Amino acid sequence: MDINLWNQLLGGFATAATPVNLLWALAGCMLGTAIGVLPGLGPAVTVAMLLPITGQVEATASMIFFAGIYYGAMYGGSTTSILLNTPGETGTMVTALEGFKMAKHGRAGAALATSAIGSFVAGSIATVLVTLFAPVLAEFAVKLGPPEYFCLMLLAFTTVSAVLGGSTLRGLTSLFVGLALGLVGMDQISAQVRWTGGVMEFMDGIEVVLVAVGLFAVSEALYNALYEGRSRAELNCMTSTHMTRPEWKRSWPAWLRGTALGFPFGCIPAGGSEIPTFLSYATEKKLAEPEHKKEFGTTGAIEGVAGPEAANNSAVTATLVPLLTLGIPTSVTAAILLSALQNYGIQAGPQLFTTSSDLVWALIASLYIGNVMLLVLNLPLVGLWVKLLKIPKAPLYAGILIFATVGVYGMRQSSFDLWLMLALGLVGVVMRRYDFPTAPVIVGLILGPLAEAQMRNALSIGEGSWTVFLNRPMSLALLIVIALVLITPRLLAWHRRS
Amino acid sequence: MQHTPDGHLIQAATVNHRPGQLAVAVGLLLASACMAWGATHISSDAGYAGVGPNFLPWVATLALAVCGLLLFWQAWRGAYDNMPEPSGAPHGDWHSLAWVVGGIAANATLIERLGFIASCGLCFALAVRGLRMSEGKPGGAWHQSMKDLLIGFAIAAPVFWLFTKVLAVNLPALTATGWL
Repeated sequence: MDINLWNQLLGGFATAATPVNLLWALAGCMLGTAIGVLPGLGPAVTVAMLLPITGQVEATASMIFFAGIYYGAMYGGSTTSILLNTPGETGTMVTALEGFKMAKHGRAGAALATSAIGSFVAGSIATVLVTLFAPVLAEFAVKLGPPEYFCLMLLAFTTVSAVLGGSTLRGLTSLFVGLALGLVGMDQISAQVRWTGGVMEFMDGIEVVLVAVGLFAVSEALYNALYEGRSRAELNCMTSTHMTRPEWKRSWPAWLRGTALGFPFGCIPAGGSEIPTFLSYATEKKLAEPEHKKEFGTTGAIEGVAGPEAANNSAVTATLVPLLTLGIPTSVTAAILLSALQNYGIQAGPQLFTTSSDLVWALIASLYIGNVMLLVLNLPLVGLWVKLLKIPKAPLYAGILIFATVGVYGMRQSSFDLWLMLALGLVGVVMRRYDFPTAPVIVGLILGPLAEAQMRNALSIGEGSWTVFLNRPMSLALLIVIALVLITPRLLAWHRRS
Repeated sequence: MQHTPDGHLIQAATVNHRPGQLAVAVGLLLASACMAWGATHISSDAGYAGVGPNFLPWVATLALAVCGLLLFWQAWRGAYDNMPEPSGAPHGDWHSLAWVVGGIAANATLIERLGFIASCGLCFALAVRGLRMSEGKPGGAWHQSMKDLLIGFAIAAPVFWLFTKVLAVNLPALTATGWL
């Protein structure tokens, strides 16, 4: 390993391991696990609601805190999907498939153990990969110009909206809704006012926090009141978190395969951990020995929990690569983390590794520390987290509204924002009812204005000519990739039909 | 999400989603019409860039209009690609929803008058009543409502103190002391 890299990482550990920062990491991990376990709140919306603290807490500490929440929610989310089968995070949906069946057949403990240890293994390996690759990619990314950045963002838009989710049309609709929301307010380049309708509150634009809290937290409460009141979820019994020798033997190859599948998917601007977790599930099912294969979908196969959990954590960690090196968020939580950085006036992008190298390395070091903390928090203390599942739904969702108020009102002390939050909550209910994905809204909202700036800068370079995107090899290559991403699934579907 | 005892997903009874789908498509078309009207008021001065500040607004407007038309067409034919049956009950409990919406609206109206703790406590009491009713339980008589209100205060107060006193987030108080 490069000696310079090693020194920077050690420097990061020195920053992350100060008692104050360790406390922030621990608080983040605890809070993250708790909200991961509780249905109704994801890491994105939790970080969004806590964004007002960026006014008071120093940048490194709050990024460590937020990363702990992001990570902790992944660990906590698997507990819920195994015991309750109501996955809060899309990434843990697959865990629920086998994990819930294992828990039904009295093996909840083993399922929780393999998912916690698998998350630890995958998270640690992925953090090592981030440590090794991110600085290299950042060095390369410095050479990219506005046309390439614009194409990268276009790729992120395409994959987030058109590839993930069931319907390209509904995904694109969400994306353009997000884009439109992002354009409201003062244009950064020309200081022109756009789409404010004369409302003063819209001048500064619509905050991503407000949209995230409205679309996720508030709409969850509203949707529950409207449709989910009579739905009953039944809680499985906890058993000892002990894995037998054969269970270890079946788990570890699945962890490694899941990690390997998850990392590349997190890195590319294709966002989300749905694809790698489903791929990992399919792989484990295919590779399982015949006597274990029949456990899939019946009594629950441990590989089907171990692989996807590892893939999920590995992909989540890998989303930090495009976020830190390119400033491109590929998941909702990454988008919120980006806006936290923006609150500090820190521009995420290739320069981050030089301008804020202390912060970046402390953040990476805190991931190593956070993984160890979470393993300790999750296995022995699992009984504590399970108790959270017994909180009745009504006060839980009503309580979430109080926290939503803190996040939204605390941002700029305007009750107008609370009305807007309510409106977005109602929009979120409609979107959920008619299967419009919400992630493209957030990604469009935060990436839209950035992409616009890159596009206009690129056109300035090209003296107003669009050929600038075709004349540069990298941007042309990216455009071809985007075309392939859009066309290939259709070709395959057409081929299958004919 | 609903499940049978052995963990299988219960599909909600099939509902006719066509009116709702059509309404969503019409809503999108109306929104894009408003956006188009707004976009005509944005300057097209391009400067050196070749496209002005009105370029992307027009792209978003036209794209949303096209999406709206396609969605309308899909809903009209009754063919939506890959739409799974939404989770939860086939028909909405609008009465319960009204209580929760009322809670948030009351909060937005009163937060600057009553301060954070009182206003959020009220929001909690109204929302928890709606959510409880959605579960098929009675909303409760006035002493239940008082209890809800007290629980709301008990949650809101520590949250308020934590965020204003420790984390220096600005939230409105009723009194000048900043504790209530």
